[in-house]
Amino acid sequence: MKAIIASEWLKARTVRSHWVLLIIAMMFPLIISTLVGIFNPDPQFVSYREVVSIVASSGAFSLLLLSSLWVINLTSEFTHGTIRVTYAAVPARWKVIVAKAVIGTLVTAVVMSVLFWLNFGLGAALLNSRGATIIVDGWFDHSFKVFVALVTFAIIVSWFGLGLGVLIKNSPVAIVVVLLWPLIIESLIALAFALSGYESAWKWMPYQTAFQEIDGPSGVDSALSRPWGHLYFAAFVIVVGIIGVVVDRRRDA
Amino acid sequence: MITVEGLSKRFGNTVAIDDLHFSVQPGRVTGFLGPNGSGKSTTLRCMVDLDHPQSGNVTFSGKHYRQIEDPIRTIGVLLDASYVHPGRSARHHLEYLAVSNHLDRQRVNEVLALVGLTDVAHRRVKTFSLGMKQRLGLAATMLGDPEVIILDEPANGLDPEGIRWMRDMLQYLAGQGRAVLVSSHQLSEMALMAEDLVVIGRGRLIAHESAADFIARHTTTRIRVRSPQIGVIVRAVQERGGDASMLSETADTDGALVTGMSMIDVGELAHGNKAVVHELLEVTDSLEDAFLAVTREDQEYRSGSSS
Repeated sequence: MKAIIASEWLKARTVRSHWVLLIIAMMFPLIISTLVGIFNPDPQFVSYREVVSIVASSGAFSLLLLSSLWVINLTSEFTHGTIRVTYAAVPARWKVIVAKAVIGTLVTAVVMSVLFWLNFGLGAALLNSRGATIIVDGWFDHSFKVFVALVTFAIIVSWFGLGLGVLIKNSPVAIVVVLLWPLIIESLIALAFALSGYESAWKWMPYQTAFQEIDGPSGVDSALSRPWGHLYFAAFVIVVGIIGVVVDRRRDA
Repeated sequence: MITVEGLSKRFGNTVAIDDLHFSVQPGRVTGFLGPNGSGKSTTLRCMVDLDHPQSGNVTFSGKHYRQIEDPIRTIGVLLDASYVHPGRSARHHLEYLAVSNHLDRQRVNEVLALVGLTDVAHRRVKTFSLGMKQRLGLAATMLGDPEVIILDEPANGLDPEGIRWMRDMLQYLAGQGRAVLVSSHQLSEMALMAEDLVVIGRGRLIAHESAADFIARHTTTRIRVRSPQIGVIVRAVQERGGDASMLSETADTDGALVTGMSMIDVGELAHGNKAVVHELLEVTDSLEDAFLAVTREDQEYRSGSSS
């Protein structure tokens, strides 16, 4: 399995478009933090909680891009036919998918960690230079909880992208589904349930349930609190992934 | 040795392969022939577990493909030269395959040198010509120094030097005791390269024999004779029970095609009848003629008449 993971790592880092997506995913939150740090009209009233909230919100954009990267990392193999070369070299197809998930997990964890603290540090430094007092008692406890929640959520979303990718195979369609899932698809599913008389169904939508809990209790009436919301989303994603692996094993490559 | 037993594959209601049986022996180049849509590529994909047949088995020295540890070390497969990420370099393409099967990365340099791509190994594959991609595909096939080599249309896009190089290499590899299975539409190449043939049409086995036997069994040998007294020779042939049809291709000398007699018989007959002979030649049909004769009924896509 180590050899397959090494092979997948080599594949992931030797395509330029992956790096482009990664750089965009990292640059966007840094730009947001810089703009907030420079142009916030009342820096003296900004607390660490608000900085963490901005970091988490802009990080949500990054994790969607990272998720798209993992979708492309898999679906481009179907597009270019390299999946046949890969599966001929590694006939146990599930090992390839698991190796991609391992790479996705590690890279997402590292990128989101670096991004979170870099972003927080940049925003805090800029605001401090303009009279704010960001680093006060309790900042680290709160920031660390949000950091763990954001990274965990990002990893689960990366698995989600991979699971959808292996099921759908088509890059544009899979990316659209990954991006629209939190924005539209879960809302439509919840609406369908609501019209059928299950009005509280939206509280059980896995992506939203996990996402709302990143920045601490959201005030929204979620069915599950952190970390149960994340576990619930992870369980849903793992089911999607297992279905994907089973379908992939049965169909012709 | 590759053994294919009762292989059948359907796509919906379309039968792609129908109860296919054949074997590929080590130490020989086996040509895999069939018209377009006859099921050659599907068969090759089923062999390496990419497509799942409805029934039948393919084994490599008794083992299924999926049971083989690090298959690149045992079986080298080239299904399509375009199965390469265009944004990845040739070296990286080979490296990820090598790494996945516990092969030393030094081996990548060796196969790049073998196919003559060392100087362009750093270039992204999207800048490669089809011939260069074929060479890269062959390099990937040779990566694990395999006992079995399976190639689908490997000569596509190669220049004449490349085609000769590939032929020589495959014959050399077979000479080392490897089993080589090559699917190709280039029948003239196949005639020079393959010792055995597997011919299929509409997914069914049509012939599985040595190339020499296949050509001998499905072609006719004729004697072309040219003479100013061709009428005399034709009459003599017919009196002896042979069959002769007149040619009138050249202005200065008439000719005929004789069947049912050897070249020596025709020569002696002409001499006995005091006829001057300007040409006496044994004309044997090619592998292409034999292939077209055998697969006439199994052509799924037939060209219209050019006349």
